[in-house]
Amino acid sequence: MSKHVDRACEWVYEGTWGILAAWFKVPRDSPTLPAAAGETIEIRRPDVGFLRYLTLQFWIGLAIIDLLLTGLWIMLLIAVPWLGIIITPLAWALIILPDIAAYVALHLRYDTTWYVFSDRSVRIRRGIWTIQETTITYENIQNVSVRQGPLQRYFGISDIVIETAGGGGISADGTGALTGAHVGFIEGVSDAATIRDAMLARIRATRSTGLGDERACESSRSATAHWTPNQLQRLTEIRDLARALASS
Amino acid sequence: MVDSTATSAPPSPTFRPEETTRPNRVLLTYYGICSALLGPFFPLAFIPLYCKYATLRYEFDDEGISVRWGVLFRREVYLTYRRIQDIHLTRNILQRWIGLASISVQTASGNSTPETTIEGVLEAEALRDFLYARMRGSRDGDGEANEASSGNQANDDALALLTDIRDALAQLVDRSSKDA
Repeated sequence: MSKHVDRACEWVYEGTWGILAAWFKVPRDSPTLPAAAGETIEIRRPDVGFLRYLTLQFWIGLAIIDLLLTGLWIMLLIAVPWLGIIITPLAWALIILPDIAAYVALHLRYDTTWYVFSDRSVRIRRGIWTIQETTITYENIQNVSVRQGPLQRYFGISDIVIETAGGGGISADGTGALTGAHVGFIEGVSDAATIRDAMLARIRATRSTGLGDERACESSRSATAHWTPNQLQRLTEIRDLARALASS
Repeated sequence: MVDSTATSAPPSPTFRPEETTRPNRVLLTYYGICSALLGPFFPLAFIPLYCKYATLRYEFDDEGISVRWGVLFRREVYLTYRRIQDIHLTRNILQRWIGLASISVQTASGNSTPETTIEGVLEAEALRDFLYARMRGSRDGDGEANEASSGNQANDDALALLTDIRDALAQLVDRSSKDA
């Protein structure tokens, strides 16, 4: 029985994707970043735990709303029986159809969220109706924060919020994803701390503050501040010769 | 089943900045459809959009982008590539059908509306790559390579100089030891 259900689910799911890809031009392949030679590109999706987290949220929401709707319908059925019977199909449609839509939507949300990390930047794609791709280079990042709620902790996932300079505020869209002009939101990853540390390491490596300071003015300082081993060897030889000259 | 060519690869993959001065004609179609969705308010929405389309000019030079539009109230936005810090490429369903995308370019200013939104370029992904290659932080590797090579150059000069000093000193030592 459950095998048939699984197959039906898969069929519905594939069919939905087929329609989305063919009619609504939703790209099914991952976004990419232009890579320089020797640059590593890592393409990822949210963790499986994220899907489970969304599914749990969905079931909780479904239980609350459907109990409420069913309760209302039953009350109506008792109070005004003829009206209750007339609206039965409508009530059941209201109870069931949004659930199916929400269930498909959460899977699609999971499928259409992509994160691409390169050595210099991160690109985030999300969305089905409106597809938004955000590209942020590490040099511009001002702060990286990791967020985790209790439910997310249970599923072993957390969210990373990347902020660049400039205000404008952060707002949550309908699905709970944070959006804003100067923000990148990586949600549902299991190794948030690793990603954050890797980002911070790259931010430190860039030396600039990400506020438009040009690297040219600060590179000269560090280049002349260090002697190379060859130069040190020559200096040592010069010292020895000077000593010899002084002692002779 | 998955028509990836239509969505991910633009019709002509190369973006020629010097030739891109006007938005593509399909932008007008997009504006038209957007306005038509408002029903009776169509003229109210369409006339300003048509004026914007008719006067919109892009100019991509070596340093930055300039975007101009407006009939009565004219606006010109110029921003340098090096100040770009976020690039958002957004396509809604209508834009995907038509083959358009809007690219919002953010600098570090304090408002939430983008500094410039580039619309009406069919090669949106190529344009984004063009901007990406020039934005701050993307040329990190090149910069360091140049820096390293110039550093090496300076180091070589210093080494040659030190070698000369050593050789001169060695001659001095030789001479003084002969004198002694």
